[in-house]
Amino acid sequence: MAGVAQAGNPLGRALRDVRHMAEDRYSIWSWIATVDHKRIGIMYGITAFTFFLIGGVEALLLRIQLAQPNSTFLDPDQFNRLFTMHGTTMIFLVVMPLSAAFFNLVIPLMIGARDVAFPRLNSFSFWAFLAGGIFLNASFFIRGNIFEGDIGAPGAGWFGYAPLTSTEFSPGHGIDFWILGLLILGVASMAGGFNFIVTILNMRAPGMTLLRMPLFVWMTLVTSFLIIFAMPVITVALFELLFDRLYNANFFNASVGGSPLLWQHMFWLFGHPEVYILILPAMGIVSEILPTFSKKPLFGYPFVVFSGVAIGFMSWGVWVHHMYTTGLGTVANSAFGLSTILIGVPTGVKIFNWLATMWGGSISIKTPLLMCAGFVTMFTIGGLSGVLHTMVPSDFQQQDTYFVVAHFHYVLFGGSIFALFAGVYYWFPKFTGKLLGEGLGQLHFWLMLIGFNLTFFPMHISGLLGMPRRIYTYQEGFGFDTLNMMSTVGGFIIAASMLVFITNFISSLRNGEKSGRDPWDARTLEWSLPSPVPNYNFKEVPVVEARDAFWYTKYRENEEGVVVRIEGAAADDEEDDGEGGHGIHLPSPSYFPLIAAAGLPIIATGLIYDPALVAVGVATTMIGVFGWAIEPPTERR
Amino acid sequence: MIILDQVLPYVMQIHQKMHLSRVFSVVWSHRRQAVVGLALLGLLALFAIGCGADTPQNTFDTKGEVAERQKDLFLIAMWPALAIMIAILGGTVLILIRFRRRSENDIPKQTHGNTTLELAWTIAPAILLFGLGIPMVAALWEIGRDPSPDAFQVNVEGQRFLWKFEYPELLDESGDPVVTFSEVNVPAGREVALHLTSIDVIHSFWVPKLAGKLDAIPGRTQTMWLRADEPGSFSGQCAEFCGLNHADMRLVMHALPVEDFEAWVDEVTGGGSSASAAGVGGDSGG
Ligand SMILES: [Cu+2]
Ligand SMILES: [Cu+2]
Repeated sequence: MAGVAQAGNPLGRALRDVRHMAEDRYSIWSWIATVDHKRIGIMYGITAFTFFLIGGVEALLLRIQLAQPNSTFLDPDQFNRLFTMHGTTMIFLVVMPLSAAFFNLVIPLMIGARDVAFPRLNSFSFWAFLAGGIFLNASFFIRGNIFEGDIGAPGAGWFGYAPLTSTEFSPGHGIDFWILGLLILGVASMAGGFNFIVTILNMRAPGMTLLRMPLFVWMTLVTSFLIIFAMPVITVALFELLFDRLYNANFFNASVGGSPLLWQHMFWLFGHPEVYILILPAMGIVSEILPTFSKKPLFGYPFVVFSGVAIGFMSWGVWVHHMYTTGLGTVANSAFGLSTILIGVPTGVKIFNWLATMWGGSISIKTPLLMCAGFVTMFTIGGLSGVLHTMVPSDFQQQDTYFVVAHFHYVLFGGSIFALFAGVYYWFPKFTGKLLGEGLGQLHFWLMLIGFNLTFFPMHISGLLGMPRRIYTYQEGFGFDTLNMMSTVGGFIIAASMLVFITNFISSLRNGEKSGRDPWDARTLEWSLPSPVPNYNFKEVPVVEARDAFWYTKYRENEEGVVVRIEGAAADDEEDDGEGGHGIHLPSPSYFPLIAAAGLPIIATGLIYDPALVAVGVATTMIGVFGWAIEPPTERR
Repeated sequence: MIILDQVLPYVMQIHQKMHLSRVFSVVWSHRRQAVVGLALLGLLALFAIGCGADTPQNTFDTKGEVAERQKDLFLIAMWPALAIMIAILGGTVLILIRFRRRSENDIPKQTHGNTTLELAWTIAPAILLFGLGIPMVAALWEIGRDPSPDAFQVNVEGQRFLWKFEYPELLDESGDPVVTFSEVNVPAGREVALHLTSIDVIHSFWVPKLAGKLDAIPGRTQTMWLRADEPGSFSGQCAEFCGLNHADMRLVMHALPVEDFEAWVDEVTGGGSSASAAGVGGDSGG
């Protein structure tokens, strides 16, 4: 064979050996070099869940501090750094990559493809995400002994308002880690965004027209477009900030004519589409699970699709609602107030359509459905408090109070996290062949629902009582005490629910009930495959004849218009264990995406500490990229 | 306790008249609705907690025209929002109960949609939301107007982590404007124009009982107005995260009755130049 794997030279032989190791499905190398979308999805999921636990511990520390007035459990500096990392982690290292995990796991299966369009780019996305996440969290350790309370980490909030992020007001390297970490994560997201756009547009099975695509595929498509347009905006902002900090560029320094508000405009021009990047995949998941568990198609499919697309477009025209109190003037505030009102309409449409999907159905009340019901109700509360926020003059009161904290946790936890857990319970059997325990699942749901509401509902009230967010403590006599104690207790109930989930996950993985192909009597193509899905996905590429493609291979309407099961359809032949996969060409495993991604945090570290390291990092990434470009495919089977 | 004394006899009567076991069975069979009811009760209890305690930054306990207007607007939106919330939450629970799967072989009618219905629930919220948009914009223009020319002028400067107040109309004996830190005196019942800026990072000026917030941004000066309708001392604090001791960046606005205010002006200006307070408004730049 040509290229790097020349049999003669020792380097070539070593490379070939290490690639052979990756061919063994049971070796760790096969995971490291994998380009299989399912394995990458699993790695995304596990990594993001680990960050979820880290971000959760940060939240608990914050809640302990706030449980009582004048508490000294944390000092203000520690508090500021922890809430900054909590927000940054939950958004960039948890909800986004958890969504990416589902894109990876499910999208190729739903559209009848054998993999994503660019499998190695996909692997690069994951490694760059992991690199960015580790880099960002490494900032905890840059200031001394973390166990003695000397925590590093950025401390200017997840939206890092200028000029607080300048070297003058945020000395040390925390902010630099934050900027560079987000830049690396941006690279990962961009690569993923392009990959899924191309995959969805080009790799659909024959017959799967755009309006036959499952809703989750649609929402992934919209989200991916939002990612590739939104990420460049924050990238520019972050580069400007980096140049301000490293080279005194003064983009945001008012004293020499820079503009602190410029940062806010760019940040929120990214930040509002980002909100939908976080919630649209969740809406997609719910739009798959509700029909399956109600045994009915999604009500008003075109409306749900178009409202999702409309949200995608409109999300670019509302960013100033994060800046009502910056004094942009009455005209700007009126205009953005009205545009924000407008975006409430397509969101409302979706909620009604979900309810109508369940109406008249035969609803199987199991954990995935309960999680979805939690999503619909909690997201409704978050949406409605969002409507209250659009009322500009009264938002002058709620802006930057705990009312806002309550609002976006109802959207991002009550919304995204509930839906993502619904997805975990729903698709777990597809990739493991086993069901997650139903009893523990319901316990998880109820604990999480109760804990969530106990934590975040009181925050509406504490906000209306005048408690600003991001304060490390408060005094007695403001009416905040009881409400904050409730929130803290709720936080620990959420933590308990996570322990239940982890227990359930591990025990079900070991000896969960066998699921078979289609445990939920589902509607989309992935359920036509054996569980776990063989590495080549589809033995034969399916031909799609209708929306809900799989359902119509199982059911048809008889003469009286009554739906009947087709005899003998979709028999549960679990014997298909990969033997049928002969002759299917699969992409070869590759280490080069990992190498290319590994260079990024080295470059970042170099920018902060030592230019020589930048050269090392660039060289590493270049090796990765060139190796990737000239790597020959390996023959399989 | 008084309430309990009044209510208890009724409760006892109901208790005697009704068969308790039947009540319980009814409650049990409606346990999901009961959960919703309990949640609503909890909500009310939360408000009770909030209103019962001393709440010096309560945005509902307004003491000034601007805050009052903002609260009214909030309530205009809040009541429909609460109603919709209860409807959707209750609706979801009822749907789950009514359409729960009774037999595995049930295959419901495969309804794909209903255009009329869908148009209806697209247009209805749009109308409702734009209905909210009208009072919103109206209130915005009202609150966003320039302060009246005879407003009492105060220049506010945010600094990490305290507030500096300069009174351009009040000159001390050496001819410089009077300055106070963290506490600001204003005349009750008269409009106050606040000119906000910052010498370091972005802060946000907020006295919840009197008015919503406006940011104090370095390199800019922006103006808000408010009015305390009655004398009192009103608590406020910085609302934009500004670094280490953001939580300690507090202030108190003392709205003084006319005589007290004049006495204070005499004291700080040495008696001579109090006329300037009533005279031409100071320069409104920062
Ligand atoms: Cu937004
Ligand atoms: Cu401040």
